[in-house]
Amino acid sequence: MDAVIDVAGLEKRFGRVRALDGLDLTVTPGEVHGFLGPNGAGKSTTIRVLLGLARADGGRATVFGGDPWKDAVALHRRLAYVPGDVSLWPNLSGGEAIDLLARLRGGTADHAQYAARKKRLIDVFQLDPTKKGRAYSKGNRQKVALVAAFATPADLYILDEPTSGLDPLMEAVFDAEIQRVAAEGATVLLSSHILSEVEQLCDRVSIIRAGRTVETGTLDELRHLTRTEFSFSAEGVAQDALAALPATHDLNVVSGRVRFTADSDAVPSLLGALSRLEVRGLTVAPPSLEELFLRHYGDDVTADERVGASR
Amino acid sequence: MSTTTAPDRPARTGEAVPRATAGAVLGALMRQRLRRDRWQILIWLLCIALLAMFSASAIDQTYGDANARAQLIRLAIADPTIIVLRGLPQGTSLAAVAFFEIYTFLALLAGLMNTFLAVRHSRAEEESGRAELVGSTPAGRLLPTTATVLHAVAVNAALAVVTALGFIAAGLPAYGSFVAGAATAGAGFAFFAVGLLLAQLMSTSRGANGFAAAVVVLAYLVRGIGDAMGTPFGDGTHLRSAWPTWLSPIGWGEQFAPYTGDDWRPLLLQLGLAVLLIAAVFGLQAVRDSGAGLIPERAGRATARPTLGGVFGLAWRLQWPTVLGWTIGGALGGLLAGALGSVINSSIADNPALSGIRDAIGRIGGGGSGPLTQLFISAIFSIIGVLAAACAVQTVIRLRQEEASGTAELVMSAPVTRMRWLFSYVAVGVIAVLAVLLAGAIASGLSAVAAGEGASTFGDSFAAAAAQVPVALVYLGVLTLVFVLVPSWTAPVGWAALGLGAFVGIFGGLVKLPEGVRHLSPFADAPVVVGDVDWTGGYWMLGITVVALVGAAALIRRRDFAIG
Repeated sequence: MDAVIDVAGLEKRFGRVRALDGLDLTVTPGEVHGFLGPNGAGKSTTIRVLLGLARADGGRATVFGGDPWKDAVALHRRLAYVPGDVSLWPNLSGGEAIDLLARLRGGTADHAQYAARKKRLIDVFQLDPTKKGRAYSKGNRQKVALVAAFATPADLYILDEPTSGLDPLMEAVFDAEIQRVAAEGATVLLSSHILSEVEQLCDRVSIIRAGRTVETGTLDELRHLTRTEFSFSAEGVAQDALAALPATHDLNVVSGRVRFTADSDAVPSLLGALSRLEVRGLTVAPPSLEELFLRHYGDDVTADERVGASR
Repeated sequence: MSTTTAPDRPARTGEAVPRATAGAVLGALMRQRLRRDRWQILIWLLCIALLAMFSASAIDQTYGDANARAQLIRLAIADPTIIVLRGLPQGTSLAAVAFFEIYTFLALLAGLMNTFLAVRHSRAEEESGRAELVGSTPAGRLLPTTATVLHAVAVNAALAVVTALGFIAAGLPAYGSFVAGAATAGAGFAFFAVGLLLAQLMSTSRGANGFAAAVVVLAYLVRGIGDAMGTPFGDGTHLRSAWPTWLSPIGWGEQFAPYTGDDWRPLLLQLGLAVLLIAAVFGLQAVRDSGAGLIPERAGRATARPTLGGVFGLAWRLQWPTVLGWTIGGALGGLLAGALGSVINSSIADNPALSGIRDAIGRIGGGGSGPLTQLFISAIFSIIGVLAAACAVQTVIRLRQEEASGTAELVMSAPVTRMRWLFSYVAVGVIAVLAVLLAGAIASGLSAVAAGEGASTFGDSFAAAAAQVPVALVYLGVLTLVFVLVPSWTAPVGWAALGLGAFVGIFGGLVKLPEGVRHLSPFADAPVVVGDVDWTGGYWMLGITVVALVGAAALIRRRDFAIG
């Protein structure tokens, strides 16, 4: 099956700054793809290239097999977009902005159904559509853009940090909407630096840093790269018994609990060793994406810099 | 024990928290204001000073003869419309006539400069959220306002000095020139206080700016009515204002009577009003939430009207109030052209002492030679042409604002071609140009016919309006190309080109600029519709407009969309 988004070796320079430096991204039909990276990694720039708002300096980018720069209008008929920092027209109400964007996308042809979709979304997102654009908070501006995006069916949703201004309750509403459009067969590109959001929603993720893709795959594929975290009560556990545990990292004892991490392939043998110690209150946590990030942007920073220096 | 004590915490270590004194904070806030405004204020001050200088020296050149000046003043007293536009006649000395001719314009400009300054540092800051950031520092809520007031005092003191220097440079007496400078700055400071108060009341800077500018224009008109209702005294070249003049800070400024009376007492009125309003501002600020206006914003519609259905609908929705405003301006200008044209004709046509006026009118804009009424109507339409071009410039600047704020990105992520987006705004610009000039032509024709001129003035008015269409369109087309090529230059290039073009093209002939320089301005190359009709300039400008728009259409598809 042809990829919905296919990006290879994408480059974009702003003056002397290399915003994108050989970025790869493949999103297949029907998947919810997480697009992860810290601020300034190039997520928004990539999205702007995919929308035909910025032209790539090198590499290849296609959306639905078309060139996002040349075929922008044809491609835009099939997609919905929510920018990271939504700005609205100061003197247009939220409801007017939603209707305008939906009409531009030709999504209001089915008047009654459109009105019903809009009403449902305004209700679930608890948005006041009569306020003027200038009166909305960041989160509410974001809700306006989300309602506008979800009120018209699309084949592809491109969402740039869509929940950065939403409270947890609204994030749950957002998650439900993503699950709804995914169940209907739409493809979603969800950029974020909030990992839990991606963890819950995404089938696959691509992690980018400094304009390059550093990891890509399903969450399971990426988890094998990380360590599992162990923790149990320190009561009655001898120091030398702990020291004898195989393949542990970062072992310490804090507030009466022993904590350490272990490589994923060492987990079975460790479980055996721990059962022999008869530890109490054992918790074994799967690696979170936070750790993935720490690995890429924390302890691996020096390694990356060495690579950069030798280039 | 019923009391609980906080657990012992280690004493705070590290560097001591600095305690800023109010004086130091105020100093920092004032420096920030001066730095932010330095170019803007410099340009305002320069324009006002140059206007004072050029107009005073133009009076010297056109009416060097005392007899001609006496005729001019008598003409003005006989025709209230001239008084409304100009000022209060206070004698026939060169300096007194210069003050009569230009003071109310200077005060109008000073008023606009000051209201914009007040709103920029108050409501606009609150709207952007920056005021919240500053308010969380030891500056609090009141010190920023205090700094803004002190900033305005400094700016207006500078305004008084540069205005005086402008008059002195044209050869007017020094002491009287400083009185005139004080009259200008005093009115300016009173309007600053008006702007600051309106910034408290309105919840948006746009609303506050619009309201405050309307108050300034109203003050200009109210004093015009008061002066027009005035009674002559002395040798018939002086006028005593009627009561409406005393309602207006600009009217108070006229009562300084520089060069003839040199009366400083009206300054107390101007400063007194400012002090009262500023006290009210501090009172309001003590009770008002930061960011809130006293006049709440009305709720909008929950669903869009059917007209807001596409990019053109959006461009129109965003800009129709602006277009309407400029169109009303065009109609007022047309009213003036028609009404004054007939008066001028009957009073000047056969008066050899006033041939200077006739020559001067023939050198405005495209000019020409022919019947005085037609010449005058054509000259006023040069100014209505400036209004039309200004409206066109605003529509292009709107494109830039849409792109910079990020709302254009939302639109462009929908199936909308860039051409369609660009030309929706250009279309609004074309409609605006036509609306402003058409309103002017209709108003001019009607008022001329009402004043007893023949029906042919209707045709003259439409011809004069048509001559301005290519001028306004060339601004629209070329600025659109500038926007496509270098977006961030749009607003500065647009306003600078319009201001310079209007000054050079319309007043260049009066202040005797070389013809070569004058013809750099589109306004000087407007088609000649009086006497020997010549549309060459118009065809050229239409051609340039088309080429620029074709270029813009081709290039908009080649560049990135920018934010910020």
